[in-house]
Amino acid sequence: MSDNKDKNAKEPVLEVKDLRLHYFTSKGVVKALDGVSFRLDPGEALGLVGESGCGKTTTGVALLNMPSPPGRIVSGSIKVGGVEIVGMEEQELRRTVRWSRISMVFQGAMNCLTPVYTIRDLMLETWRVHDDAERPDLPKVEALMRKYLALVGLPEHVLGRYPHELSGGMKQRVVIAMALFLEPQVIVMDEPTTALDVIVQAQILNLIKDLKAERGISYIFITHDLAVEAEVADRIMVMYAGKAAEIGTNEQIFGEAGPAHPYTRKLLASTPRIKSRVSELAFIPGSPPDLVDPPPGCRFAPRCEFAKPKCHEAEPPFGEIESGHFAACWKAMEDPEYERN
Amino acid sequence: MNLRDSLEGLGAFWKEFSKNKTGLVGLGLLAVFVLLGLFGTLVVPFPGAIDHWRDIGFWQDNPQAAPPVWTNWFAKRKGVVSSVLDRAQAEESTLDSGARVSSLTFDYDFGYDLPPRDVVVRFEGSGLVPVTITLERPDGLVAELYRAQLELSEGDVQRVSLARNCSQEVVEFLRASDEALAASLDADLVKPVSLLFSRLSPGMAESPEALKGAYRLKVNAFLFSEDARLAKASAVVSGHVSGIFGTDMAKRDVFTGLVIGIRWALVIGLLTSIVTVMAGVLLGVTAAYMGGATDWLLSRLYELIFLMPVLPFLIVVSAIFKPTIWTLILIICLFFWAGPFKPVYSMALQIKEETFVEASRALGSRSWRIILRHIIPILLPYSFASMALAIPSVIVYEASVSLLGLGDSSIVTWGQLLNDALGQGAVINQLWWWVVPPGLMIALMGMSFAFLGTALDKILHPKLKTR
Repeated sequence: MSDNKDKNAKEPVLEVKDLRLHYFTSKGVVKALDGVSFRLDPGEALGLVGESGCGKTTTGVALLNMPSPPGRIVSGSIKVGGVEIVGMEEQELRRTVRWSRISMVFQGAMNCLTPVYTIRDLMLETWRVHDDAERPDLPKVEALMRKYLALVGLPEHVLGRYPHELSGGMKQRVVIAMALFLEPQVIVMDEPTTALDVIVQAQILNLIKDLKAERGISYIFITHDLAVEAEVADRIMVMYAGKAAEIGTNEQIFGEAGPAHPYTRKLLASTPRIKSRVSELAFIPGSPPDLVDPPPGCRFAPRCEFAKPKCHEAEPPFGEIESGHFAACWKAMEDPEYERN
Repeated sequence: MNLRDSLEGLGAFWKEFSKNKTGLVGLGLLAVFVLLGLFGTLVVPFPGAIDHWRDIGFWQDNPQAAPPVWTNWFAKRKGVVSSVLDRAQAEESTLDSGARVSSLTFDYDFGYDLPPRDVVVRFEGSGLVPVTITLERPDGLVAELYRAQLELSEGDVQRVSLARNCSQEVVEFLRASDEALAASLDADLVKPVSLLFSRLSPGMAESPEALKGAYRLKVNAFLFSEDARLAKASAVVSGHVSGIFGTDMAKRDVFTGLVIGIRWALVIGLLTSIVTVMAGVLLGVTAAYMGGATDWLLSRLYELIFLMPVLPFLIVVSAIFKPTIWTLILIICLFFWAGPFKPVYSMALQIKEETFVEASRALGSRSWRIILRHIIPILLPYSFASMALAIPSVIVYEASVSLLGLGDSSIVTWGQLLNDALGQGAVINQLWWWVVPPGLMIALMGMSFAFLGTALDKILHPKLKTR
């Protein structure tokens, strides 16, 4: 990743350009995603972090071109393995994109499994939806199911169980197995460990890391937990109010130099640390802007301690600060006009 | 779900269900109803009634408006239980002239406090046959009651009613036995059967005292020609009490009617509730899941239907179109799907937001697949319960329409029985056995499904039971 030439040599498995997804509510148009761009290389893990409501999950769902109504992708481009999926027919999406090219592990995996079916039926369902054959080739699918269950470290007898008979960690593993099942190019993991206790969480994170190391899966990992992100992601994208605030490698964000964007700094500062003793946790004053009518300049400016007049007037572009490290901040870019004031 | 799982699930369900007493009572009642509905014709005294309910001829041998048999238990003077004597001792002898005499003897052990209302002798045969009927009384007196030359033909049942056809002969018989007694009677007001079964005493016309003992009714036929025959003879003793639930004004056996009515109650109830609940659930889920225009359209349709008063509408439609039962069922269906619609709609709105629905969308499932395979199975328990709970009201609606005389008059339902009872003054004439049992049956049938429904609701309701 650090090597620029190497990056260009590889065809990105996922490329998002200027994605805009708006919710058309009765109160106005909520610009939940307002021009988000990023790319994901094969075998890479991109972490998505940000406050609640900043558009992390919306981005994840948008990648399957599956915005929940009244949301709609207004413009932009999403290319999965080189195939443009924005504007694709619903039927085409169902058959060729969803799950077969890009799958998703949803927030709260415990509720991801329809309670009335066994794990076998549920996994078979993924196959049925995508297999054109009248009847699935059961022995073959069965073997596949066992293979993937083994891969996520589950015994075979799980196949005959109902979701409620499994523990939270087991369900999470099943869901990951199902996400892998059709061998998609990209997996979107939306807070896959949020509802789990720390031990199971560690197990699942290790599993994901192992899968990446052994099978070279590429995934997008959405969470608000920066520590988790540091653990599983190669690169981090920090989102704020429907926009990307900063993208950089793990090292660039969490390293000694610290992140470039003041928001990321604040976010990191809000994370409690075991070594330093503080009587009160640091937090960011104010609240994220109203997405129906966002402020004209930098969206973080009203809460930013470094904000200068320029920040309130002009929206900063997403500029490259160093190789592979982008930030949307006048200060980080060392803009002369910003410096002057 | 494979077979083993289903069986296991069923076993677990039964374990829980068997703990629920009301549910068991409901199931027991329903089992009785279903068995009676299927095999009812085997237990009723008039199996042919299903096709002949409104055929006056079919019922003519029954007493009219007779109370149930068991009212005798509470009566001071036991009335005659209506019965059919069809086992005759047949004898055939040949006279010197060459003519054959076919003689049939019916033994009747009479042990009641009141004389029968009528005795009807039935037979058929062929050829020109002179027939005589005699009655041997326990006190040794023999009454010759009938003597006629009949042109018989196969399939044509001859009926001789002692009450109607033999009053003259009875007077003759009395005259022969006791001249003074006969003279004291007013020949026009004679009740022949009453006299025949009473002790000979002065004042027997006013307060007859039943003569208990063994009676022999003899039917003699003189067969002159070779092909002359007498066949299928029987005697019907028409009494004061009849059947388990008595008879109505048209001499029909109320018990038979009740048992026949079970079939229609079950058919109407089950068919309507299954169709309506299926439609309601499907439409409710569709409206909730699809949202937008579909939701708007279905919800407005629901409101329209739900706000319409069902019974008045049914009455008007029935009065104008005189619908058959199937049309009636269809109309009820058109209204009743609205019942489960809203609850299902609200539940589906909730389920729709569950992650597994979103997950199956992400998986690439079509909408109908999500609706059918991921949402409706979760609503099945509710559906079964609401099916069971819808049945009573459907049955009551049909009964109400029939009660008003607007139902399908070609079938026998409890509502029809009640309509007849009402129309023919059962209440005024205090024929309670004609009114109470059909009402009770409707209530019982309703109860059985209501019990079952609440039991199912308790066991399967997703809110009351954690998965």
